[in-house]
Amino acid sequence: MTKSPIGLVLAATALSATLAVSALAQTEIEIWVGGEPGTTNIYDDLAGAYMAANPDVQINVTKVGSDLFNPVLVPSLSGGEGPDVFMYGTGPGQPAAIINGGLVADLTPYYRQYGWDTVIPESIENTTSSDGRLWAVGNQVENTAMFYNRAIFDELGLQVPETWADFEAAVDTLIEAGYTTPIGLGGADRWPISHWQSMLFGRFASPAGVEEVMFGDGAWTEEPYRDAAALLQEMAEEGYFGPSPVANGYAETMDSFWAGDIPMTFTGPWIVPPAIDALGDGIANFGSFQLPPMADGQAIHPTEDIGSGWYINANTEHLDISADILDFFFFDDGSRLMLLNDGTIPIGPLTALLPESSLPPIMAELRAQIDSYRPNGTIHAFLDTVTPASMTNVTYDGLQALLLGVMTPEQFVEAIQAEWEVAKADGAILMPGGVADN
Amino acid sequence: MAARPMASRPMTARSRRWSPNRRTRQAWLTAALFLFPAIALYLVFAFIPTLEVFEYSLNRWDGISPDREWVGLGNYDRLFSDRIFWEAFVNTIEWTAIIVVINVGLGVVLAAILARKIKGRIFFQTCMFIPVIQAPITTAIIWRWMYQPNGAINEGLNAIGLGFLATPWLGDLTTALPALAIAHSWSTLGLSIVIFLAGLQAVDDELYDAAKIDGATPIQAFWYITLPALRPVTAVVFVLTATAAFKAFDLIWGTTQGGPIRATEILATYMYKRGVLENNYGYGSAVAVALLVIVTVAMAVYLYMQARRDD
Repeated sequence: MTKSPIGLVLAATALSATLAVSALAQTEIEIWVGGEPGTTNIYDDLAGAYMAANPDVQINVTKVGSDLFNPVLVPSLSGGEGPDVFMYGTGPGQPAAIINGGLVADLTPYYRQYGWDTVIPESIENTTSSDGRLWAVGNQVENTAMFYNRAIFDELGLQVPETWADFEAAVDTLIEAGYTTPIGLGGADRWPISHWQSMLFGRFASPAGVEEVMFGDGAWTEEPYRDAAALLQEMAEEGYFGPSPVANGYAETMDSFWAGDIPMTFTGPWIVPPAIDALGDGIANFGSFQLPPMADGQAIHPTEDIGSGWYINANTEHLDISADILDFFFFDDGSRLMLLNDGTIPIGPLTALLPESSLPPIMAELRAQIDSYRPNGTIHAFLDTVTPASMTNVTYDGLQALLLGVMTPEQFVEAIQAEWEVAKADGAILMPGGVADN
Repeated sequence: MAARPMASRPMTARSRRWSPNRRTRQAWLTAALFLFPAIALYLVFAFIPTLEVFEYSLNRWDGISPDREWVGLGNYDRLFSDRIFWEAFVNTIEWTAIIVVINVGLGVVLAAILARKIKGRIFFQTCMFIPVIQAPITTAIIWRWMYQPNGAINEGLNAIGLGFLATPWLGDLTTALPALAIAHSWSTLGLSIVIFLAGLQAVDDELYDAAKIDGATPIQAFWYITLPALRPVTAVVFVLTATAAFKAFDLIWGTTQGGPIRATEILATYMYKRGVLENNYGYGSAVAVALLVIVTVAMAVYLYMQARRDD
């Protein structure tokens, strides 16, 4: 058979046209993820899984460090550009401006379409919705706990403390053994101290007490909050956080913790995935526990909040696909299993998934603690994300001042209450959320 | 009607005025053409944004919403009664003073030493200049590690028997600001030295020879010849160093974020916290305008005094 040159040209043209059309048909979705290196690699895997199932979609995941994330994201959103899907804070502080500015898409129709209401717990829905509409999907549940070095505890004959007296005795033993910083804090970065504040406020005031301040007529100047601040200061004075609690940053503190120079640190599960990458099986040397009650009649309330919210850019040209990606990442059972196996706890019920997951033991241990104490009621892990941004700086400065002993607990709670009242008057505090029925 | 010859035209006030000839006009046009890109860039990227910041400062605005609430001078009124603003102001002055003293004082001395034909001069000059070309955030990371309680500085002090001087440099309210000012100077001193070295090239060697013949010691020669000769260059170094110090942000943000408490809070970090972190761009802009006014006034006063002394 002879080949006609015209036929060849036509065939080549048809082939290129097909290729061009298929290239044009591929939808590109930009996702921006905020976080420290290594802590967000799971989203590459999830994007890969989505693309495998949807070959017509190309997802580009861009990771930006926490400090730079907002200064980069906000101007690009304001300029009508930016990613299709992005991570951002939740609560009343950060997202209020982008929601009020019309920069994020209303996810309520997808909430109903995909049945997300059966997965998202009410407490999380409260911090990701306003005016009856859902604006974000919480990416992961984060619980803070005391992480500790098993090898050091074993060497010194220490057990996980069951009472506050046990805990104090354990710290004394560690100090006597030469650990000048029994509990790593990372106070130079300020926000790690607020994890202590959130836990102590919740423990002393109970979940109902905190809610009464957040949504009722309560005040941060009430006795439980003052007592909580006083305990934090007392711990600093007694050297629990080392000789200079605000001199070290979080990264240095975690390095010292994994290296075995610091026996304990109060932090959250986001440290686990990069630690597994770095330590491998060595992660088995570390465990976690919930701090025992600090006063008579006090219950152990586990801390629980979401890490961040995932939003869709209001200006995206691919709203439906973006929503489908969120549904795949956080609501699909296969994806939720991937998240679990990475050590990232997705929001919502996990009963069916946990048995088939290979959740890292350190995370499984943490999860078991949370579940066992959950009936007591959970408290906020990150009060700084559910209180106004204007209060955050006052709180951070105040916490450092408490640790350095230059502010009394009374002055501290009065300072944050003063800022709270200003924000409340401005309508800048978290309002009870929830998605409207219709 | 016959045209009147030009030469016989009477001199009017207008024609007596100097008027550029064609060549001069061409030169001006050429100059204007060359200057236009720079002026346009300056207007677009510096002048107009500065005016915009001033406009923002007269509004209450979250930086995102299309709606701004006009508050007039309300943000400035609030600024004057803002205790933290004044704390940051005092810190900024202290911070700038330390940096200027180091960069001008130490800079001129090191430049005078490096100007001599000492062995390894180029090596030392290069070492001094490397921090200048380094990203400020890198400087922040280096010094954050150095200043840790168990960092290189304290370990070094312990090693040479000066352990009693070891302290948590960035965790102490009294040492944090000076410690960071030293780090800032470390990263900018090289530029001061280079400028001083350029100034020293203009000093006539014969002056030193004459001083030597007259029996002047090297310190006297430095005091009576080098320093007076470097006065114009010193003004340049002063202005560059002070403006860089007033504008500093990265180093402090990368180390202490203005803490502990507010010990290292300067106007630039305070502006960032209020404006960007709290989405309060109106108030943050008011802080920025205040900073601009302070820098401008400080530089104008210094240059005026310098000019009067030179006269």
